Amino acid sequence: MSEEIKTTALGRFGAAFAKFLAYFVMVLFSLMTLYPIFWLIMNSFKPTREFQVSQLGFPHVPTLKNYGGPYGAWKLGDFDKLIPNSVIYTLGATFGIIILSVLAGFAFAKIPRKATKLIYASFVIGLLLSVQSLLIPLFLEVNIMGIYNTRLAVLLVYIGAGLPMGIYLSTEYIRGIPTSLVESARIDGAKYFRIFRSIILPMTIPVATTLAILNITGIWNEFALINILVSKTELKSLPLGMYRFSGSLSSDWGKQFAALTIGTLPMLVFYFIFRKQITQGVAAGAVKG
Amino acid sequence: MKRLIIATLMVAVVALGAMAQKTTLNVLYYVDATVAGYDVDQAIWAKFEASNPDIDLQKEELFSEPFHQKMQAYIAAGTLPDVFYMWPSGRSEAVYEKHLAKDLSKLLGADFLKNFAPTATNPKALGDSIMPASQYQAIIPQAFTLTTAVYVNTKLLKDNGFAVPKTYADLKKMVPKLKAKGISVMMLPDKDGWPAQSCLFSTISGRMVGDAFIDQVKASKAKFTDKPFVAALQAYANLFKDGIIPAEDMNVGYSEGTGLFAAGKAAMYIDGDWRTGGYITDKTSNTALISPADQESSFDIINFPSIPGEKNAGVVSGIAGVGYGINNALPSGSAKEKAAVRLLKYLYSPEVQKIRYESGAYVPTLKGVTGTVEPIIKKMAAYKNAVAKTTYVLDGVLDPSVFNVLNAGLQGMGLGNVEPAKVAADMQTAMDAWLASKK
Amino acid sequence: MARKKRIGREEGRAYWMMVLPALIVYMLVLAFPIVLSIVLSVSNYNGGKMFGGESWQITGFSKYAKLVGDPLFWNSLKNNLYIVLISVFGQLPLGFIFAYIIYRKTVKWPNFWQGVLYVPNIISVIVVAVLWSTIFSPKGPLGEAINSVRFDAFHVKIAALFSGQSGFSITDDLVRKILDIAGPKASAIFTDPPAELKDFLASYSPDQLQQLITDMTNMFVSKWSPTFLGIPDVAMLPILFVTLWMWTGLYMIIFLANMQKIDVQIIESARIDGANEGQVMRYIVLPALSGTLVNTAILCIAGSLSSFSLVWAMTGGGPNHVTEILAIYMFNNAFLGRPDFPLANAIALVMVTVSFILIGLTKAVENKFGGKGE
Repeated sequence: MSEEIKTTALGRFGAAFAKFLAYFVMVLFSLMTLYPIFWLIMNSFKPTREFQVSQLGFPHVPTLKNYGGPYGAWKLGDFDKLIPNSVIYTLGATFGIIILSVLAGFAFAKIPRKATKLIYASFVIGLLLSVQSLLIPLFLEVNIMGIYNTRLAVLLVYIGAGLPMGIYLSTEYIRGIPTSLVESARIDGAKYFRIFRSIILPMTIPVATTLAILNITGIWNEFALINILVSKTELKSLPLGMYRFSGSLSSDWGKQFAALTIGTLPMLVFYFIFRKQITQGVAAGAVKG
Repeated sequence: MKRLIIATLMVAVVALGAMAQKTTLNVLYYVDATVAGYDVDQAIWAKFEASNPDIDLQKEELFSEPFHQKMQAYIAAGTLPDVFYMWPSGRSEAVYEKHLAKDLSKLLGADFLKNFAPTATNPKALGDSIMPASQYQAIIPQAFTLTTAVYVNTKLLKDNGFAVPKTYADLKKMVPKLKAKGISVMMLPDKDGWPAQSCLFSTISGRMVGDAFIDQVKASKAKFTDKPFVAALQAYANLFKDGIIPAEDMNVGYSEGTGLFAAGKAAMYIDGDWRTGGYITDKTSNTALISPADQESSFDIINFPSIPGEKNAGVVSGIAGVGYGINNALPSGSAKEKAAVRLLKYLYSPEVQKIRYESGAYVPTLKGVTGTVEPIIKKMAAYKNAVAKTTYVLDGVLDPSVFNVLNAGLQGMGLGNVEPAKVAADMQTAMDAWLASKK
Repeated sequence: MARKKRIGREEGRAYWMMVLPALIVYMLVLAFPIVLSIVLSVSNYNGGKMFGGESWQITGFSKYAKLVGDPLFWNSLKNNLYIVLISVFGQLPLGFIFAYIIYRKTVKWPNFWQGVLYVPNIISVIVVAVLWSTIFSPKGPLGEAINSVRFDAFHVKIAALFSGQSGFSITDDLVRKILDIAGPKASAIFTDPPAELKDFLASYSPDQLQQLITDMTNMFVSKWSPTFLGIPDVAMLPILFVTLWMWTGLYMIIFLANMQKIDVQIIESARIDGANEGQVMRYIVLPALSGTLVNTAILCIAGSLSSFSLVWAMTGGGPNHVTEILAIYMFNNAFLGRPDFPLANAIALVMVTVSFILIGLTKAVENKFGGKGE
């Protein structure tokens, strides 16, 4: 009797403690995320001189100088040209990755073929590659193909680089769809493309959402590949604009923070608008066991 | 009807001809968008475009690592731009080795070259140390650079009862008093790895062992592990042991330095002569890190104080500055080549060089350039005039595989976790490997 | 029979039409560069135009031998393994715990926490690096905050020596007490501490007591300087911390997603039967997620071995190589100074091999300790 009381008391204390701990960790991590972003944005409204004297305080007189005007970050970084490009690359490549991955994923998962094992494995190996090792060969290839300095090259490379993950996730996902669905449709005489369109495609929306989320943030922020693939400002993307402000000789912190804020805000806004869809999307189709 | 067609065709042909005459010139340029004077720099290029409507200037601006990545990619693919920014050494080594840039002495002619300081147009006089490998005029250095300059906050020293230091002992004497005020005696932001070597150790090495010793090491007749060189490394390490430079500077980024110095966090600041540009008034915002009045009254630029045991008093590490190379693959006599030459002549014109001088970028090698400049630039010019003899900048004369070891070692010694003898041994190992690969 | 054949043909055609677009793009973008990498890694190509320029040829495995003999290679491999470890044993468990807390509604406003914790994922690495390296800089906000705390504490100690006095007189006793408080710091500044400190004190007049206290504090307080950023192994800590911070949210979302697929009824009835939270986690949630865990572990390993941008932007691998990882080691060989592409490519291939081995190990562990959760 007394033993039981003890355990429940202990249990209650334990539960309270666990709750406290849970809040503590959550608050800690959230602060570590929110404060730096707040700090970044706040400092983008400070003149560089003020930042050098006080990195922590609020701006005395908030200024838009770092952003606007003929020598503000917006103009210097050519962000008006870069942002539309970033949108094109991000949406175009993400769409390409999803379509190609889901198509191939269906074939790998539901059309029995000897070749699958080898081809699928070769895609999965791609997960292990570091882009930095491919910069020079890619540059050579793009030149040989005559598509250097084109949007096509950027889209092609982004799609190619996203395929290993895309195919891995969609194949694993489609494998989880009961094969009997496909088989019964086959018995009814449906062709594979028809099955794909009317049965599989609607069912892959969750994994497509997952892929979209992973790729949109990844491509939006990518800079090593695109730096090699284009030289014209009209074709560059946002991170290259941001990078121009973070050189080691850079002395203008105000503009640097402004440029970084410009680069970060669109994604944050996107995220907060679509947060529900994003988390639910992942919730439905994320990496499966 | 037939006539009309012919007439239309002819108009089309003429129009196409006119378009074809517009020469495209691809330029790979190195610039940081946040540097003071970026607006002035852009105006220089805009003016060239405006006054040369027949040239279609395609300028790619990159900075720091992305620039070097792109350059290596261009070299591997054999698609170098027509005109490219180039170093006299170090990271442009592949360009010299493979002779990827045109010989400017032939292309521009003696008449043009005679306008420059003789050393800038004589690759032989520059020696293999500065124009490595092939010794030809791939670029005309826009300036000569002293990589060590000590920026002094004279007011801060005076307020604490100190005079401008002349010897190592003078520096050491300042430590307690300045520390008590929370101020570093000297500052050397070295998170990026190269400043300690380029802006400080090269000068120390020049004073302690001299260029002849480095040449001997490269000819396998001496070793970095020899006593004199280890002593030079030790002299560097002592600056940290004696509290003159704080160890934490090894984790301070190069870009943080100027602001901290201007804010009075250090009495002296070690950097290259090019850094004056960081202190002067930024025309776009009309603010200066150090106002012209303060530059005049409270700051100065001096030589590094004498070091115990030095052989060559007063020498400072110096190197030819950057310039523009022209792609060797352009057919001679082609429209592209002519356009490239026109661009180069413009970039080296008295008009442009004057702007560069006034914006604090450098003191040009082009003779007879004068202008109105802020006090700190005048003081820099005075300092440069007073330096009688220069010595090697080590990353200009050693292979990257060797100076990268040195750069890392200097950081290690600054932090106090590596001994000079170990750094010397590592350098020699790298040197031996390099010498072996040369054979 | 004929019908079967026709179906077979349709099957083959459909298969290839679905696979080929992806395969062709993949071949172009990844496969060709990999093959070229492999070829280059055993060649003597040394910069310059690669095709149609000077000739280069296959020379064998000397670059691999060079790698194995280079302590810097082992150094960067080791640092890289730290990142793998923090990813697999830091991000995954932490992500799991966060997911579990939110899933079980232990905290209020689960949507808010979930939203915030994912944010680091969507910020550019450039921003992340500038943010955190400014924060970790000796002169940054963290240093500023720590130093002001230390300063105040030390100030109190020094001030205590003079408590109740409005002036001071220099006595051997005072000098000794100050030196006691200062500790080893004193001998770093003075060669003969007692005598020199005495001289130093003499430079103040008795009415400058407050100034003296402040100055003594400045001189002897041991400032927070992140010297640990230069010590091998220890210097990786900020990077590991930021890695953890960056990616935990992603895994949290993935785990949470899979937890939400579990039938709530099972958990409810288990709770009614008297199972506590720990048991629910151990016997219901964990087994249901074992497959997900293995898959995320694989993604984690692959991602952390090829990671580059964050470390590059934060420290560049320095100071003195202490934070160098494989991708940076490779980058330095391909792009710094005179490029050594064969060596760089050899490193890239070693990276792939190491990934393989680790993922093989993960699979082996999976096979040994219980299979899939279904």
